[in-house]
Amino acid sequence: MDVEDLGHHISRRFNEDLEHVRSSVLAMGGLVEEQLDRAIKALSDADSALGLQVAEDDIKVNRMEVSIDEECSRILATRAPTASDLRLVIAVLKAITDLERIGDEAEKIGVLSARLASLERPSTNYRELRNLARHVKAMVHNALNAFARLDTKAALDVVKADDAVDEEYESIYRQGITFMMEDPRTISRIMDVTWMARALERIGDHAKNICEYVIFMVHGKDVRYTGLANIEAEVEQAHRRQETRS
Amino acid sequence: MTLPNRWASQFAWLAIWVIAALSLGAWFGGMGWWLAGALALYLARLLRRVYLLDRVLEGATRVPLFEMQGLWPEMFARVEKIRAKARSRKKKYHKLLREVRESTGALSDAGIILNAENEIVWFNAAATRLLGLNPATDVGNRLDNLVRHPDFIAYLARPTPEPVTVPSPSDESGALMAQIVPYGKEQRLVIIRDITREIKLERMRRDFVANASHELRSPLTVIGGYLDALAEDEAMPPTWRGPIGEMQRQAERMTRILRDLIELSRLESSDRTDSDEVVDVARMLELIVGEFESHGGEHAAVSLALDSDVSLLGNESELHSIFYNLVNNAVRFTPPTGTVKVEWRADEDGAVFEVTDTGIGIPEEQIPRITERFYRVDPGRSRAVGGTGLGLAIVKHALQRHDGTLQIRSRESHGSTFTCRFPSQRVVSRTAVAEAV
Repeated sequence: MDVEDLGHHISRRFNEDLEHVRSSVLAMGGLVEEQLDRAIKALSDADSALGLQVAEDDIKVNRMEVSIDEECSRILATRAPTASDLRLVIAVLKAITDLERIGDEAEKIGVLSARLASLERPSTNYRELRNLARHVKAMVHNALNAFARLDTKAALDVVKADDAVDEEYESIYRQGITFMMEDPRTISRIMDVTWMARALERIGDHAKNICEYVIFMVHGKDVRYTGLANIEAEVEQAHRRQETRS
Repeated sequence: MTLPNRWASQFAWLAIWVIAALSLGAWFGGMGWWLAGALALYLARLLRRVYLLDRVLEGATRVPLFEMQGLWPEMFARVEKIRAKARSRKKKYHKLLREVRESTGALSDAGIILNAENEIVWFNAAATRLLGLNPATDVGNRLDNLVRHPDFIAYLARPTPEPVTVPSPSDESGALMAQIVPYGKEQRLVIIRDITREIKLERMRRDFVANASHELRSPLTVIGGYLDALAEDEAMPPTWRGPIGEMQRQAERMTRILRDLIELSRLESSDRTDSDEVVDVARMLELIVGEFESHGGEHAAVSLALDSDVSLLGNESELHSIFYNLVNNAVRFTPPTGTVKVEWRADEDGAVFEVTDTGIGIPEEQIPRITERFYRVDPGRSRAVGGTGLGLAIVKHALQRHDGTLQIRSRESHGSTFTCRFPSQRVVSRTAVAEAV
């Protein structure tokens, strides 16, 4: 049940298959991170060509999801994994769905950036959006790192960070309403900004989900919808159990 | 065979014991008992020394050497000597190891050792700083799981001679350059350098050249305009006609150089074409070659051989500038009696554009350098034929943006061949174009 357990197996081929599928998820994560990175760059540089390129490249993310999905099905069918191996395959299957959604949100941000590029820009150059984007990017990065290192404590930190992102989204949303009431001519632009903030907030949620799968994969506990306090307690407990055993 | 002294003395001691036992036996009677007793005593002392030797080998240092004779003192001394040597060697290695650790830790470049499965075997402090690797948890983890940029993963899977550049995971505007050095048995060293500063400097240089060229263009236009007006002025004294004409030509040349500089800095600003369209190469080449039609043999005859009608996916004006520059170069460096042959053909690897001339050629050792900006094989002659010195640099960059390669073969005073290869994913056949329409 501990971290080393996930690395050992009797059949070398099986072990390689599992390791390969895990690496593929992280490679897909790398691609998604790059997409998000470029989408945000398109926003801050007002680069409409880049924004549209991001939207076009989303198909690469989708293709990767399909191929990892197939590989997982093959492992389930031919190897019938149990215990930690089964949890790894399940966590992978769930994580790729969330990664694919992050890719979709990045696509949305790309398209919106392309649209905003041709409009008048505020003097802050959307600082609040860029701040939110930086936080969300760090969340995705750390979630994938936690997945790579099977580090549930880091995963827990990402889950905690999601609250701050939600608050930031809320404040952009309220600020937008104020602007729209002051000057109705800004409505269409503010709507785009709000949509983009919404997309970023959703990416934060997906990163949080990935972290919950990491906790599930390592400790075998499903912590979804149980509240932060409970997740924290579970991770603490699991770590104590591990320490007493070793 | 002679025995070493220590063994001789050991046997001498044994002999003394035996003789003492025998003489005591002869004196008091019960010879067998005396002998047995003496040998038992001898054996006990021997066992005690073996015990002490065992202790010494285990690491004990205080041994009562004073109560020993014969073979033993020397043997213990030798064991001690070997141990002292090992101790000093260990100390030396420790020191060396510490020095190596300190120096690799002080390196500003990240070094990571990977095994055949891309799992991390070792990394230095800079790797922690640049990539965020964690010394406590990341040894044994796969590097491509932690550094996940698609370009880096691709490079790790299939290393190219050219290092790969990826954005820094820790610094938003930063960039890192990674290079793989294979060494030892199935081990690889990945060296990662922070090139944020270099990239910023390069960008500054490029911006400077682009801005300077733009700024110089408008005053030059004014100068050119007045020169044109002066040249057409009927009242101009005839002695000034020559100098004014020369000034016009030089102003025009400066304009061309500036235009090429602006073009070059635009090409350098990104390594991909912005928009790809289907470009009808055959038609483009017909137009270009048409421009060089020789009127009364003032330059070499240009012939066109279209062996294929495939089109290219790319940027029309950039492709035009590749083809035009190469044809123009060939014509300029070929005497009027020579020939220039332009070819367009396709094979399974892609499409090939080739210009062959019977001109003055390029010395072999200069071929690698001729695509550099303002590089001239022979300063006098190329300026005389009116080049800007930037044509081949533009060709090289525009080709790179189209995933193409440039190959140059030349023999001095026999002629040169410039070959551009475009990969098959850039090639569109005529039937495909017709279907799309």
